[in-house]
Amino acid sequence: MWTLENLAAGAVCLGLVMYTVFGGADFGGGIWTALASGPRAPEEREGLFNAIGPVWETNHIWLIFVVVTLFTAFPRGFAALFTALLVPLVIALIGINFRGAAFAFRHFGRQTGKHIPFMASIFAVASMLTPFALGMAVTATATGKIDFVNGWVQAEAWFWIGPFTLVGGLVGLAICAYLAPIYMTVRTEGELQNDFRRQGIIAGLVLGILTTVEIPVAMVDAPLFASRLLASKGAPFVAMAVLSGATAMVLLWRCRFLWAQIAAAATVTLTITGFASAMYPDLLIGQLSLAAAAAPAATLSAFFSVLVIGIIILVPSLLFLYWTFRGEPNPELPRLWRD
Amino acid sequence: MDNILSARALMGISLGFHIIYATIGIGLPLMLMIAEGLSLRTGDELYHQLARRWMRPAGVLFAIGAVSGTVLSFELGLLWPRFMAFSGPLIGLPFSMEGFAFFTEAIFLALYIYGEHRLSRRMLFLCTIPLAIAAAASAVLVISSNAWMNTPTGFRLVNGALVDVHPFRALANPAWAHEAVHGTLAAYAATGFAMAGVYAAALLRGHCSDYKKRALTLALAVASMSLPLMLISGDWAAMTVAVQQKPKLAAMEALFTTTSGAPLIIGGWPDPASGKVLYGIRIPKLLSFLAYRNPDALVEGLDAFPHGTIPDPRLVHPFFDLMVASFFIMLVAAVWFWWLRWRRREVPLDKWPLRALLFASPFGLIALESGWLVTEFGRQPWIAHGHMRVAEGMTQQTGIDLILFTFVSVYLALTTVLLKLLLQPASIGDRAETIQGDRHVDS
Repeated sequence: MWTLENLAAGAVCLGLVMYTVFGGADFGGGIWTALASGPRAPEEREGLFNAIGPVWETNHIWLIFVVVTLFTAFPRGFAALFTALLVPLVIALIGINFRGAAFAFRHFGRQTGKHIPFMASIFAVASMLTPFALGMAVTATATGKIDFVNGWVQAEAWFWIGPFTLVGGLVGLAICAYLAPIYMTVRTEGELQNDFRRQGIIAGLVLGILTTVEIPVAMVDAPLFASRLLASKGAPFVAMAVLSGATAMVLLWRCRFLWAQIAAAATVTLTITGFASAMYPDLLIGQLSLAAAAAPAATLSAFFSVLVIGIIILVPSLLFLYWTFRGEPNPELPRLWRD
Repeated sequence: MDNILSARALMGISLGFHIIYATIGIGLPLMLMIAEGLSLRTGDELYHQLARRWMRPAGVLFAIGAVSGTVLSFELGLLWPRFMAFSGPLIGLPFSMEGFAFFTEAIFLALYIYGEHRLSRRMLFLCTIPLAIAAAASAVLVISSNAWMNTPTGFRLVNGALVDVHPFRALANPAWAHEAVHGTLAAYAATGFAMAGVYAAALLRGHCSDYKKRALTLALAVASMSLPLMLISGDWAAMTVAVQQKPKLAAMEALFTTTSGAPLIIGGWPDPASGKVLYGIRIPKLLSFLAYRNPDALVEGLDAFPHGTIPDPRLVHPFFDLMVASFFIMLVAAVWFWWLRWRRREVPLDKWPLRALLFASPFGLIALESGWLVTEFGRQPWIAHGHMRVAEGMTQQTGIDLILFTFVSVYLALTTVLLKLLLQPASIGDRAETIQGDRHVDS
């Protein structure tokens, strides 16, 4: 159980969870920037941009962490994944490019005014492209449709498009759209807070419906995954995710925002962990096991020594970052603005 | 375009694009640290304002660096999966370490940019220290994996399988030390000259202020201190390449035939068909001296290596000369400026020295990019020297030309918008009361 490759798989899963819980909320910010409507839409957009500003680059690095951990610890798996999933990953990359650049441009070019509407729309559209494509790519590993011939991957060009992965892409979108407004409720008050609360409840319902639909779809389109998910390995996570999601909804409804935020993050964490547990012990379900994909033991132990040192440096720095920017960014800004 | 050429072009363009932003991401933190340190030490507010003024471009450039770096990490798998399957266990380690360094950089940059109203001035300065260290560390670490491609170590191959894997030995491969030192210093020189050029241009337009003079002096000081170190580390790099990567040296110097007392050939066009360098200037025995400190030493030419294992000197020699020429252009401009500065004890505002600086300002980046091209083209046809050819490391997917086209369009669009933003008059305007970059409001 506690083999090096399982621990490394745990690191990949952790990176994926961190990227979704933190980076996903940033994408969700983009989605709601596009969907925001009503009298307070400008304030909603403003709030989202302000919240994302100081942290999006840091959040984004979790994705690099996932990629690097994959090719260090699972070089064969990485090669297979990136060969078979070329198209969705390219789409995700284009979205990442535009989102990052458009966000930075918007932020720094805002005082000129003229670029903002165009930039903001690219930012929003790109935000939808990336979680959808990544959701498809991740769920495609659970379809069992990637073929190996003589140890090399032989993918059909469009195998990654199917009912299961399409719903997977939508789940990716819904996760992002779910997290962002719920995180925003903690940072806002009054009417604006209520708007975000409403958005969070809507997205929560959508996410709940989509993940529920994904199970029967998986039975048809990804049968091995479905059977493992509903067996003893995956079922506890599914149950906990459902429980946590329902708790988050109740907390939102009753305006316990801080706790709702924690429950929402837990729901997403449990959803991803549940997916990963149903994949275990494979990297590509039924086709490539973690053990077969793993790097030599010397690499894995070197990787963990780096990981430990890295975490010792990173955790205090990250805590300092989030502690410094807790709550509303720059609450004192309006006063200084007049000076 | 065929698949392999498309893949190489895409990787090359992505790297060439990323290198510009990564370079500034390494150089600028050092400048910030020095400026904030000077401000704290002397109590001079102008240095602090200087650093804050750099934040607006720094934020944009760093963000693009982060995004283009993500693109690269994906492209490693999308374009070169077979190479990564082979080398991942070995070069994954420096990438993992670089990831943490980059993480640290992003965190402290965010603290520095957005923390002005939440942190004390001392704390802001303290944030620039891990920022500068992490920036340099990420360069040094990522260069390790490039060096490994030149001098792969830390493993044995038995029937195509990796055995005896030593990731830390792979990290500390023979080419790492000189590449890392030379490459990181180059980032300081390139950033310093690029920034000095911006202020030289402003002074030339007659927008003279204390602020600009000081910014010019600071940027050029950092760049000028790197120049002699570049010369020393470049000489060290050449001597090491002469031992470790002989075909690369031969291609760099356009030496077709093995010669004792080999001349240094400056410029010219190497013609592989005739085995001659057309129109080059030859300085007798200088190559033997530079490479081995012996004017009569034997230097192996391209003919010393089996056919099909040598790089094309037409791609290597011109870039090598461009790199060296860029160095001298920067040297002349810097020496001129400092000479006048020393004579007059004041920043010279004469047209020609400033024009020289403006002219020299892109050559730091040009030198860095051409140095990178030398090391990449000089390694061909290998992706991991002696073990795997570029073609063997490639993806089996087809249609890479389509992806190439897509990304070129994306990069062109991003660069257009970036230039439009950075060149807007408002961003260069001299409004002392506002430093726009640190405000975090979308209006």
